[in-house]
Amino acid sequence: MSKIANVWVFSDVESRQAEVLAGARELGDTVSAFVIGTDGDVAKAYAQGADKVYLLGARETSRIVEDYADTMAKAISEAADSALILLPGTRCCKALASLLGVKLKAGVVTEAYDVTVEDGGVTGKRMVYGGLAHGQEKVASPFAVMVVSGGVFAPESEDAARTGETINVEFVAPKAAIKCLERQPKQATQVDLGKAKRIVSIGRGIAKKEDIAMAEALGAAIDAELGCSRPIAESEKWLEQERYVGISGVMPKPELYLALGISGQIQHMVAANSAQVIVAVNKDKNAPIFQYADYGIVGDLYKIVPALTAAFGEK
Amino acid sequence: MTMKIIVGCKLVPEEQDIVVQADGSLDVSRATPKISPFDLNAIEAAVEVKGLVGEAHITALSVGDKTLENSKARKDILSRGPDAMTAVMDDAYTHLLPEQTAEVMATAAREIGFDLILCGDGSGDLLAQQVGTRLGALLDVATLSGVSKIVSANNGKLVVERALESEVEVLEVTLPAVISVSADINTPAIPGMKAILAAGKKPVGTMTPSALGVAQGAASVELLETKAPKQKERLNVMIEGDGEDQIAELVSHLRKILN
Ligand SMILES: Cc1cc2nc3c(=O)[nH]c(=O)nc-3n(C[C@H](O)[C@H](O)[C@H](O)COP(=O)(O)OP(=O)(O)OC[C@H]3O[C@@H](n4cnc5c(N)ncnc54)[C@H](O)[C@@H]3O)c2cc1C
Ligand SMILES: Nc1ncnc2c1ncn2[C@@H]1O[C@H](COP(=O)(O)O)[C@@H](O)[C@H]1O
Repeated sequence: MSKIANVWVFSDVESRQAEVLAGARELGDTVSAFVIGTDGDVAKAYAQGADKVYLLGARETSRIVEDYADTMAKAISEAADSALILLPGTRCCKALASLLGVKLKAGVVTEAYDVTVEDGGVTGKRMVYGGLAHGQEKVASPFAVMVVSGGVFAPESEDAARTGETINVEFVAPKAAIKCLERQPKQATQVDLGKAKRIVSIGRGIAKKEDIAMAEALGAAIDAELGCSRPIAESEKWLEQERYVGISGVMPKPELYLALGISGQIQHMVAANSAQVIVAVNKDKNAPIFQYADYGIVGDLYKIVPALTAAFGEK
Repeated sequence: MTMKIIVGCKLVPEEQDIVVQADGSLDVSRATPKISPFDLNAIEAAVEVKGLVGEAHITALSVGDKTLENSKARKDILSRGPDAMTAVMDDAYTHLLPEQTAEVMATAAREIGFDLILCGDGSGDLLAQQVGTRLGALLDVATLSGVSKIVSANNGKLVVERALESEVEVLEVTLPAVISVSADINTPAIPGMKAILAAGKKPVGTMTPSALGVAQGAASVELLETKAPKQKERLNVMIEGDGEDQIAELVSHLRKILN
């Protein structure tokens, strides 16, 4: 695999900076990182693999991350005629990708789960049609933007001794600024379905929030983490976002995936399908989930779940 | 003054009708066109904003091929609240890339006129999550994605919320603007009989690329291949019924898996 001369990275979420820096080192020769923050953040970027840091200064509270798009585009285009910009798939980085796409006339590939460099060109693979198919997209423009999903690149171990050239960048104010009036911290959750060996997952077949306790009891009995389909988290907001499985949610790889009242739409199954064994409970014998299941039972989950919990012993 | 709202509304093939062929390629030719799911939220958000400001005119804007002639799909869009629809159609628009779609929409939006453009965060087929934001950049107006709540709309300003990974931002956006909404912003209402009947009488305009004067530029991304992955082999053991015996059978399978 050949390499790209210049790779740029940025992450607005601290926990995802190390992976894009590692990816940049794998794909490119010189790695430049944009940093919003202080000297401590600069040192961190070097430790995680940056050769150069373009320091955007401390963030004013009224600014949003996308306000830096013009500043970044200017720095990137002034440095060289071509480059790869590697971003993690956070909300703001996805928006930045599109903005940089327009400002740098760059081809953009979002949610790439695989990025390769060949003959100086960058190719990304991503899912389309809800996960039914995989698309391979090659960027033809001099500037290329790749937004990568989590887990594509493994962070390298940090080296506090690393350092480099720091460039202070002047802020270029966007024409149409958006004013941030307030920031409310979100409750951090401890849930990490990615680590779960067993998952009991609920869908719309669960009629009321109170009934989730029934699925939790089964989870406790067989030592499984609780997951769900998107509507349970997104529409009903009964469970945390971190628990919903699917193309726009988490992609766990458990040994057992026990789906309760989930119909089995492709956007859900593309993720659930990584499980070694899938067991499905659904009252509709034509539910698509049965095509993906190793064991399926056609019946009422309100009868089946308590019986399973009893069989495996409540803990 | 009447606020002019445009909603980006894509028609996508119903996934369940897509046929995966033996070589992994997809046949979408027999799939029913449906409104891209998140665009239902964008339409509902437009209706919401209209309710907040009182006087507004909503145009649904769709870019695509002949699929847009589908009268059922048109009626479906119009029964959900838009006052009119504009379809930009061309045979070459079957597999437009997000960057090209955004170019076409930008030109059409200038032609129609707008104070606010609402889009979904991602389309059902491509989920590129690019068109809305690119559109904002091309039109050189304020743009935001991931908007999960519209707090207020007055004096040419919107106050909205969006959820990031670790915080919720409350943001003031000065119009004109392009806003992409996340699916949790609202629950799209199911159109009633009256709305469905009224939809048939609403105006639908069509535009062609030549009339709009948009030439299709060279794309900066080349789609090399779209292919369905091989499906994992599953045992497909089915137990029909939820009587004691059937549940006991499931329990015995589960015991084997759990040990
Ligand atoms: C762009 C896009 C991205 C998406 N991303 C995701 C994603 O990441 N994850 C995700 O999950 N979805 C995602 N979706 C949504 C997805 O298409 C489906 O709408 C969703 O997965 C359906 O959830 P569900 O199976 O819980 O609900 P439903 O489809 O409503 O299914 C409920 C099932 O429960 C069964 N049932 C009802 N009562 C009982 C009972 N008493 N006992 C047994 N069975 C019962 C029914 O037969 C039915 O099959 C996405 C959609 C789009 C458009
Ligand atoms: N062909 C289209 N016609 C109308 N609106 C579109 C079209 N393609 C995308 N959009 C809008 O842009 C959003 C994001 O699309 P995408 O970038 O493809 O994920 C969609 O939810 C629509 O609101």
